[in-house]
Amino acid sequence: MNNSLKQEIKSMFKNIKVIISKDKSMLINARKDQLLAVLKFLKGKGYNHLALISCIDWEEEKQFEMVYVLTPYLQRSKKVTDDWRLHVIVKFRIPRENAEFITAIPVFKNAEPYEREIHELFGINFEGHPRLTQLFLEREYKIPPFRKDFDTRKYVKEFFDNIPFVTEKK
Amino acid sequence: MRELELYFGPQHLGMVGNFSITLKVEGDRILEATSKPGYLHRGFEKLMEYRTWIQNFPMVCRINVVEPDSMEMVYTMAVERLAGIEVPERANYIRSIYLELARVGSHLFGLWAYSNLLGFDTVAQWAMYHRDLILDLFEELTGGRVYHIYIWPGGVRRDFPDGFKDKIVSTLHSIGGCVPDYDATFFNNRLFYERAKGIGKITQGEAKRLGAVGQVLRATGTKFDIRKVEPYAAYDKVDFGIPIREDGDAYSRIWVVRDEMIESVHMIFKLLDKMPEGEVYNRVSNPFKWKIPKGETYVRVESSRGELGVYMVSNGGDKPYRVHFRTPSYTHGLIILEKLLKGASIADVGNIMISLYVVAPEIDR
Repeated sequence: MNNSLKQEIKSMFKNIKVIISKDKSMLINARKDQLLAVLKFLKGKGYNHLALISCIDWEEEKQFEMVYVLTPYLQRSKKVTDDWRLHVIVKFRIPRENAEFITAIPVFKNAEPYEREIHELFGINFEGHPRLTQLFLEREYKIPPFRKDFDTRKYVKEFFDNIPFVTEKK
Repeated sequence: MRELELYFGPQHLGMVGNFSITLKVEGDRILEATSKPGYLHRGFEKLMEYRTWIQNFPMVCRINVVEPDSMEMVYTMAVERLAGIEVPERANYIRSIYLELARVGSHLFGLWAYSNLLGFDTVAQWAMYHRDLILDLFEELTGGRVYHIYIWPGGVRRDFPDGFKDKIVSTLHSIGGCVPDYDATFFNNRLFYERAKGIGKITQGEAKRLGAVGQVLRATGTKFDIRKVEPYAAYDKVDFGIPIREDGDAYSRIWVVRDEMIESVHMIFKLLDKMPEGEVYNRVSNPFKWKIPKGETYVRVESSRGELGVYMVSNGGDKPYRVHFRTPSYTHGLIILEKLLKGASIADVGNIMISLYVVAPEIDR
């Protein structure tokens, strides 16, 4: 089944790269405009559980990589074959400057908090997202803190070392 | 009636850890709820990029305070997969036993929190006491009570000490002997039934659409358990059941937790019987000099709260390039909670939250 799914994806979408790795994950490299179509197709094939949306900052290549991990919701253990143990990892590369991406909420509702997190920590804007408000952080940063060029140790030194100690008057 | 905005939290009975919600209420009905995490955001995933593979262990287990063990397991599994490290058979059994003990401990903690919230103080005291007995076992095995760092790439850090098997058995027997008491005072109690039945109800379809896992999903009648779907450690060597309920409300969720605890205890007995002799640790090269080959992987385990995964990327260096944890509380606490609170009454906020079994540090990481 893995191979037939691979062929099907390749015939459905142009310029798509599909690799099945040793550890039973299917790695798909697609273009930004294919996002919703690819996710919808995989959801229809039974990969209906969006486990994670992640983002990687490839600083040297000046690119962000969006990562969508899809797995199936399986019910009965007996019918579980190796084919269904596949993790589908769909990846998209976007330029690092003024990063823009599209929201996956129309296909997977639970994409909402993940995209909010990535917006906050990497500074990627998601087109069509209903509330890109702050999630974890309490202040604005010049460089979004999870980018590679944000130096945590330097920031901690500059920020926290300058907070004066409390001195009580006697 | 006038609409009001009510700030709920960050410290309250409904949550282990700090987590607040903003409620828009009319009378005591909730019109809209907004989750506000972030009080425990320590940026672990970023900090991990600055430390070597092995130095990250003390941070990994602090992501989930209540059950740090499955965190260790999932991180170890990812490192092992990327580096191609094999684990001896006995270590797999020990890992499974250890993880199941942790699951029982974590569920007892959850039971403490839930019964405490509903005013069943006696049950809460029992649950805390029984959890402490399990922590005693951990202390003897690993030296630590809460954070153990016991699972290690290549196996586990040490073998069971002399007489440890018997200690596990007697401890679990003394906890198991109290199950009728728990049932009589809590699970079959009319007060608990009235308080939890029909509260925070979610249908199977909606749960799946919102990415629910663990008890939240199993309480809607879905037999979804990573231990069965993708067996790791020694879970494919033993036979065990997956408890489910059909109703999808707080009552069903807490019953699933109860049944799971009993199932785990049975599983530990089976694993102890089958446990082979042998090494518990495959010698690996000096971990401080590790360079892990280029690659990426997504691995997942069933923690006491549901699917716990990690997406790990290595660029061939001595530190991880990117680590991202997929924690079960993330979707439960951020979107399912918001959905379930809509239309509920203020008195049920804590009740719904705790029945979703959310641990705040897991959301923030």
